[in-house]
Amino acid sequence: MMCDDANFYRLYCLLVDFKLTGVFGWIWSWWSPMSTNLLRAAEKQILTCLKTAYKGWYVDIGSVVGPADKIWTISLNTDSPKTPLVLLHGLGSGVALWCLNLDALAAERPVYAIDLLGFGRSSRPVFSSDPTEAEMQFVKSIEEWRQEMQLKQIILLGHSMGGFLAASYAIHHPDRVNHLILADPWGFPEKPADVVLKNNIPFVVRAIAYLMQPFNPFWAIRAAGPWGQALIEKMRPDLVKKFSPVLSDSSLVSQYLFQCNAQTPSGEGAFHSMMTGMGWAKNPMLKRIHLLHKQVPVTLLYGGRSWIDNSAGEKIRERRKEGYVNVQMIPGAGHHVYADKCDVFNKYVNEACATFDKSDEDTRRGNLQVDSD
Amino acid sequence: MNLSFAGCGFLGIYHVGVAVCFKKYAPHLLLNKISGASAGAIAACCLLCDLPIAFFLNFRLFLDLIIDFPQVLPEDAHLRVSGKLHISLTRVYDGKNVIVSQFNSKEDLLQALLASAFVPIFSGLIPPKWHGVRYIDGGFSDNLPTLDENTITVSPFCGETDICPRDYSSQLFHVNVANTSIELSKQNIHRFARILWPPKPEVLSNMCKQGFDDALRFLHRNNLISCTRCLAVQSTFVVSEILDESFEYDPQCQECKQHRQEALVANLPDTVLSLFQDAIDSANKGLINWIFKHRGMKLLSILTLPYTLPIDIIYAIFRKFVALAPHMANSLVTMCEFLLDQIKHMCSHMSQPSKQLVSGNVSCRLALTNYATESASAPVSVASTIPAETTVPSSADKPIHLKNKVNFNFTLDLEDSDLDKSGKISANKILSRRSSYGQQHQTHNNNSSSSQSANSQSASSVDHGCMMGDDTFENILQVTRHHDALMAFYYMDGDKRTRTVSLQIAKHPSLSQEIESTIAGSASWRLINAVHRRDGQILPLSFTPD
Repeated sequence: MMCDDANFYRLYCLLVDFKLTGVFGWIWSWWSPMSTNLLRAAEKQILTCLKTAYKGWYVDIGSVVGPADKIWTISLNTDSPKTPLVLLHGLGSGVALWCLNLDALAAERPVYAIDLLGFGRSSRPVFSSDPTEAEMQFVKSIEEWRQEMQLKQIILLGHSMGGFLAASYAIHHPDRVNHLILADPWGFPEKPADVVLKNNIPFVVRAIAYLMQPFNPFWAIRAAGPWGQALIEKMRPDLVKKFSPVLSDSSLVSQYLFQCNAQTPSGEGAFHSMMTGMGWAKNPMLKRIHLLHKQVPVTLLYGGRSWIDNSAGEKIRERRKEGYVNVQMIPGAGHHVYADKCDVFNKYVNEACATFDKSDEDTRRGNLQVDSD
Repeated sequence: MNLSFAGCGFLGIYHVGVAVCFKKYAPHLLLNKISGASAGAIAACCLLCDLPIAFFLNFRLFLDLIIDFPQVLPEDAHLRVSGKLHISLTRVYDGKNVIVSQFNSKEDLLQALLASAFVPIFSGLIPPKWHGVRYIDGGFSDNLPTLDENTITVSPFCGETDICPRDYSSQLFHVNVANTSIELSKQNIHRFARILWPPKPEVLSNMCKQGFDDALRFLHRNNLISCTRCLAVQSTFVVSEILDESFEYDPQCQECKQHRQEALVANLPDTVLSLFQDAIDSANKGLINWIFKHRGMKLLSILTLPYTLPIDIIYAIFRKFVALAPHMANSLVTMCEFLLDQIKHMCSHMSQPSKQLVSGNVSCRLALTNYATESASAPVSVASTIPAETTVPSSADKPIHLKNKVNFNFTLDLEDSDLDKSGKISANKILSRRSSYGQQHQTHNNNSSSSQSANSQSASSVDHGCMMGDDTFENILQVTRHHDALMAFYYMDGDKRTRTVSLQIAKHPSLSQEIESTIAGSASWRLINAVHRRDGQILPLSFTPD
């Protein structure tokens, strides 16, 4: 019986995945108003609000996942000698959403913001369906990018899924991370056993949840085709509103987000394989946080209203008694903490960066070398 | 710091739990503005008016809100909440959000609350009016009205809200419906089903507890719990310092620490819990409840739904009618009065249909001529259709000095297309009516000598014009008695007696229009005679013969 169940489910998954092949693929391309030019234009228009000069280019990282992967990078204030700050965005967004932070963060140090592989304007290869492997592919792409950029040490700031990947990167390349800043990171707590809960949820709700599982998170936006942008505006008017102080055209953000997610869901697919249930990580980071080198300082910034379980911050503090862990909560901010309270967020990030800027860099490096020996 | 309660129908009990917690541990937060939509607004109003929470357990339907709420609300409720309570409403005609905070009376406040909780179709068909504009549930435009940056948001749906239940699902996806962030979690979908249908008392009790716990957790995380002494210090801070710094607490204060420790293990107060227990007990007690809780009974009730539903609907309509009867009584009385008036009016019209059909137009012209004393009998040339008139001057032999010449000109013009239908007025009458005729009268008046001829003349001129059968003296008297003269003039005759000539248009209902006009011409002359014979005093325009 169990076997039958699994087989049916696999068949169902295959049917769902079928959509991008054959005749259906042709209809799809006609239906979806996706265009890389529109994405480029939207990003450019959003970034016009920046006061600091920025440069954007593709960094060729060679064959990491696909045959030739490129990572879209924008940089600001690259002349500064301080440790550069690298920004990793969350699921389904891109570099342009940092527009409220780039100016303030670039005032003191070089700032690089990248579109993660499989997201935004970067190339979209097909990731592995194995969660650990997919995660490693992301980490490798970031590491290749760092080598290509010839950055010795970086301050890694990740939001949501970017925070998960940043933590994973810091575990695997501790000597390269000067400071790990996690803004409302995803994938830290473990999935609780919901045996009790299951009985309280009606059958219909459970059935819907079950049927939705094989779908990628943003399938609805793609399925909506020409109405995808309107769907984003309808479902997330708050996202558009967050950026209204700097953007005159309110539809820019929704257009950018739609174009980001209307393309082939490659990074999204990787996220989907890393996730289980409804938004839990298959390999939660809390289980592995002890692997993070004790010399890598960690700063956690949580939005006071965020849905991400912020008790994880306290747990990290407990599990890393020797290392530096700073947990900050920004009241009144939601999951998009960098946009909700951008001033407070920028202040906290700049403070965190300044804490480990230069002073104990040498000692830290010495320690790391001792440890690795 | 302001508070904001989300609209959520029957999940509003969650707000009660939050309110209880705030009252106990952070009363200083309740001094500011509280906003809300729908059930959130009602909860906010209850909180500001210190209403017992038992009320929430009892009210089940929108209808209950209409009947019960006015009774539990204190008389000065509007004074207490004005300026503090902000109710979110959705204007019907453009769908825009409106936030109201000034209430002139208790009814005013009630009406705003009703409008804010009005879900079309579910609550009724016609949206209620507030200050002359129709509004519906605020949840359609702004379900979680935030007044400023420092608003503590309370929502019974798990999402990006300050105080909300945290579901055991690390949800990635949440939607933003009318400013309320709602996670797409299984529990939230389940909660949605409870918005419009009242859940069982057990569920309500759990929701309330959940609200209390969530609020407590929020207060804890933001260091908002402190002892009364520290609170007093803080509230003075608020005046001078900026808001964020006012919530800095003194970690040394032992009393605060103790308070905090107590709060950590705190539960919903016993008084509240016992209320819930009572409600649960009353729902579970008794044989009938036991039977209805049985599975077989549940199945049966589902199967008989097609039969019981119409009965339920009829019962609901009947209840609504009974509830609204006192309000409807006045309007019913007015409606009946209006109908009776209309019927009366119609009856009176039915009895005299012809009067309504005739439209008349009477015009009159008056010319006065002064003659010199030397002049001979001047030829009088006035268009006249009455031959008797022309004979009048010839009756006098000696030269007459004309002092005055009075020229009346009557025009009677009646037109009506419905005349033929009525059939009551013959064709020749219409003709005579259409012709305009002038009637001329000359008064020869000698200043010094007596003018008996004038008397005789006027007497003679009276005799003509009696063409109509109805033109009886009685009729004329009646007319003059009831109506003022259209015009009149007075003159002195040789015997130093003042005479009056008055012209009257009769409008007595018993006379037809045609007759009236004729009377108007001739009646005045008769009346002169009457006056002449009786006395010589100056008479008013209307007089009464014996």
